[in-house]
Amino acid sequence: MSQSLPQRYGAVAQAGHWLTLLLVIGAFALGWIMSDMKMSPTRLKLFSYHKWIGVTIFGIAVLRLLWRQWAKAPPLPPTMPAWERIGAHLSHWGLYALLFAIPLSGWLMSSAKGFQTVYLGMFPIPDLVGRDRELGKLLQDVHELLTTILLFVVGLHATAALKHHFFNRDDVLTRMLPRWRKTGDAS
Amino acid sequence: MKLFTTAVLLSLATLSAQAAPRTVDTARSDISFSVKQMGVAVDGRFKRFEAQVSFDAAKPETSSAALSVDIASIDAGSDEADSTAAERAWLDKAGFPKATFKSSSVRATGPGKYEAKGLLTIKGKPREITVPFRAADQASGATLLSGQFSIRRTDFGVGGGEWNEGDLVSNDVPVKFKLLLAPAK
Repeated sequence: MSQSLPQRYGAVAQAGHWLTLLLVIGAFALGWIMSDMKMSPTRLKLFSYHKWIGVTIFGIAVLRLLWRQWAKAPPLPPTMPAWERIGAHLSHWGLYALLFAIPLSGWLMSSAKGFQTVYLGMFPIPDLVGRDRELGKLLQDVHELLTTILLFVVGLHATAALKHHFFNRDDVLTRMLPRWRKTGDAS
Repeated sequence: MKLFTTAVLLSLATLSAQAAPRTVDTARSDISFSVKQMGVAVDGRFKRFEAQVSFDAAKPETSSAALSVDIASIDAGSDEADSTAAERAWLDKAGFPKATFKSSSVRATGPGKYEAKGLLTIKGKPREITVPFRAADQASGATLLSGQFSIRRTDFGVGGGEWNEGDLVSNDVPVKFKLLLAPAK
């Protein structure tokens, strides 16, 4: 290979990764709280914030995929067995798929329920589907199911990263962390 | 006898001064509104209403309209939005099951354009409003009256308390209507 692949994730890829985590936690927390609330102005606000975060997550996922074409991801450690590699790829692409599918289902669900998504209260996102109560309920189930799946895949993803760090003692976790984490190593 | 004749003549005169009532085809008529929250317009409509309309394009001042809208028939797109709208803070379905409009005068404002003044009553609160509308003759001989006006929901005590804090829910509520009048007999 004339040009070696990078050994670490760059600053942009890392920013995209950790920002996505923060936003997913935020959107999940808001979604959890607001779905059990009684209708109130606060609840309407939370709904809007939840949608804005979802749109942002979707946008960042698009940018991350584009960025990945430019700045390739570092290769997996050569010591990893085939099943782990397959698992890692599946969960990574699964995460991307969910980061697209969950906001999409939320957007369609909002349209079906008659609440258009207006990003930051300023930029209306067109309704792809018209108002339809049954479709709205179905999409709500889909949105919640996909979110539950995301929760599991994120858990798997984080567990695998920790297992690599503490058990395999490789750089799978640290290469997604800023370099200041490793200044003590003088490497 | 003279008195009686005068009375009959007078009542006939009053009758003729009134445009003939037209049947409103409610299935093909529509009353809708839009409420904006957090910059998001949520549209709704009332599926059931009664309307007594008499309209004569040649003598618009003889026209009149009386409408009664069934609050329970609201369709704001989702069960949650419907039940919220029916709550006491909003339209108070239980306390005030009907919203009504009764015209006091109608006049022409241009070709095919008219204006009705009248009393709109929501949640038991009457307010004088002016409703501009158009009348278009349909091929079937029917007449389509359509128009829109805007009300301030707080004038009617709709959505009080916490709902009026900040600019979360807009005060102005545009209302649109289409009334299809069956051909004059």
